[in-house]
Amino acid sequence: MNGSISFTNFIIFPFIFGLFFTIRETRGIIQDFTLKNVNNEMISTTTYKDAKGFIVVFICNECPFAKLYTKRLNELSAKYKSLNVPLLAINSMDTLVYEDEGFKEMQQNAKASKFNFPYLHDVNQSVAKNFDAEHTPSAFIIWKEQNQWVLKYKGAIDDNGQNTSIAVPYVANAVDALLKNQPVLLNETLSFGCRIFYR
Amino acid sequence: MKTLFLSFFLSIFLPIDINAQSYNNLWIPDTLSGTDFNLRIIDTFAQIVNTGNQTITGAINGKFWGPTLFVNKGDQIQMNVQNKLKDSITIHWHGMHLPAVMDGGPHQIIPPNTIWKPYWTIKNEAATYWYHPHLHEMAMEQITKGIGGLLIVRDDKEKALALPRKYGVDDIPLILTDRDFNSSNQFSIVPYGDSMLTNMTLRAKYEVPAQVVRFRVLNAAIERSFNIGFNDGRTFYVITSDGGLLNEPVAKTKYLLHAGERIEILVNFTNQNGSNVDLKAYNSLLGNNIPGGENFVTGPFGNYLGKKDFNILRLNVGSPTLNPITSIPNTLVSNTYLKAADAQLTRQLTISDSSGFPNILGPTAFLINRKLFKLNYNEYNIPLNNTEIWQITSSSNFGHPFHIHDVEFNILSINGVAPDASQAGWKDVVFIPGRTGNTNSVVKFIAKFDDFADPLHPFMYHCHIALHEDEGMMGQFVVTNTTATSNYKLIDDFFSIYPNPALDRIFIRFNSPNQSAYYIKIIDALGRTKLMLPQPHLENGIDIHHLKAGIYHLLLTDQSSKTTISRTFLKP
Repeated sequence: MNGSISFTNFIIFPFIFGLFFTIRETRGIIQDFTLKNVNNEMISTTTYKDAKGFIVVFICNECPFAKLYTKRLNELSAKYKSLNVPLLAINSMDTLVYEDEGFKEMQQNAKASKFNFPYLHDVNQSVAKNFDAEHTPSAFIIWKEQNQWVLKYKGAIDDNGQNTSIAVPYVANAVDALLKNQPVLLNETLSFGCRIFYR
Repeated sequence: MKTLFLSFFLSIFLPIDINAQSYNNLWIPDTLSGTDFNLRIIDTFAQIVNTGNQTITGAINGKFWGPTLFVNKGDQIQMNVQNKLKDSITIHWHGMHLPAVMDGGPHQIIPPNTIWKPYWTIKNEAATYWYHPHLHEMAMEQITKGIGGLLIVRDDKEKALALPRKYGVDDIPLILTDRDFNSSNQFSIVPYGDSMLTNMTLRAKYEVPAQVVRFRVLNAAIERSFNIGFNDGRTFYVITSDGGLLNEPVAKTKYLLHAGERIEILVNFTNQNGSNVDLKAYNSLLGNNIPGGENFVTGPFGNYLGKKDFNILRLNVGSPTLNPITSIPNTLVSNTYLKAADAQLTRQLTISDSSGFPNILGPTAFLINRKLFKLNYNEYNIPLNNTEIWQITSSSNFGHPFHIHDVEFNILSINGVAPDASQAGWKDVVFIPGRTGNTNSVVKFIAKFDDFADPLHPFMYHCHIALHEDEGMMGQFVVTNTTATSNYKLIDDFFSIYPNPALDRIFIRFNSPNQSAYYIKIIDALGRTKLMLPQPHLENGIDIHHLKAGIYHLLLTDQSSKTTISRTFLKP
């Protein structure tokens, strides 16, 4: 009755998506990465010798939904850093198109928001591509298993951007489970916010 | 504990009361008026579903859906449209009669972080118009995000009438859409949603005064038509079609409003204090070849509201205001409509399913003139001041709301029958019914293409179902002034800029008085567009105070030759 393009899309997309997730599930391993922090130091996953895992959060300077999470990210970082699960925030926005996401602006944002975690510049978007990050904010938890970083969680930080008091803390719950050597029951949720456009 | 028990008790035994509490107050969009409008398009979020997460939306200046712009006929208005999205967009001024280069069609792409500054003199009659994204293949997604707004034109003829015009009190905008929310309360980009949204409010209610109230109703849905009426069967009075007041109010009990269309209606609530009434969509009455009349339960078009009657707005009648309007006027304005005899020519257009054209698309895509839209293909050259009949013959098995830019038209006939009185006025969308059996539908309208000629920038005509438009059910035309001759010979250095370096303003000096600017773009050293100025006024220079320090290129397209030459300047 209606247009065939979208009808075809609806048939094909789940198929492609299925394939995509299958590949990632089998892949599931994240390579070490090194990026420049806002204090001009290079930060790497190898920098943290005692890290059991990392909370990797893709954020940016301008996305209103990502900005809601500043306080919560500082809290997550403060809590889990001492438990050897540091939080790394990464900005992978295309700085050629979006000036506001540039390194200087990241420095200003980190200072103004009093980030207590590294805010790293993924200048060529390669780390975001490794994670298949699609939006800001989106969170990933990687965990050290047999000397490799295994992806344990991907998705939203919690389930309520504005109302923190009723939010289910997906990331914290997952890290807590991992710290107890328990499986992560909810290992994937939907992330949404501002789209990361790849160059 | 006692409260808990009571709630539990109530929820079992008084479901109607609980239901009543689930209404949300209708949100009334903010307003902007004057002649200078700053519209900032942003990514944002809004609490639309009462519980759970916020929904990611787009917006203009606010949270979701843009401000209502009030403009006066005869005023020159300046739009300053700033794109702060992380994506390109265009903003089209739906229904406005204006130069094509200001129209905001698929060609006037505003890249991220760019300001587009169209301006025009309002020539339209008093009525309700709107603005919305028109980026090709992105219209459905960007409209779904909620980017758009109403544009209300006022004029002396309308002001002289005893009509309600207290915005949000007795003159109420109603933007009708539907959306699909996923389990995380996010929009799915689909043609039909499961939930009715009235002014972006779920399960909306509103208090109206006990007097005559005007509703300005826009169908801003992706695809769905709304067969509106009241649950007590009351009569309402249609006073405008898309583009102006009718000669007199037309009494109706139902009105089928298609995507892109607007009507203003008067409803008399005099002496009805304390009562309530529901404005509903009676879509169970629609045929299955009318958008929203299909009964798909599953699949890409499956939705909860298909072929159902559902509430648009619960109205609670309160006290009247001071100096209320209490009666429906007998007459409105005296329109002079175009007559078939005025036409210089009749253009024959076709709408068809692509069935039988396998090289074009699959079996059920929709085509205009057996073509899909191409940005670089122009279908018609229309001589300036032509009056034309457009005869659209549809063999499609589905109905399509056909919209044309630049003009307001008069419908001559729909399948050989003159339009209903409520559609006999100025229109910019006409519903082309699906074929009946093997009999094609034929719709004729007449329009005059006056005032604005431009051989370079086209106007669009398309199906206003955003999904169909994105798929290519669209064509374009240019209006050309054949009497204008251009024998100006361009010389290489036809303009210079000063001062350079420039801090706040940069000025253009043409080498000959015959020259003017058709378009100016200012681009930074990395190729990012910063300013888009169609046919700019240059007496006061170009405001560049907001640009960061750096090197910029000013690209000027000459009015007569359409040649583009660039100059470089420094902003210290």
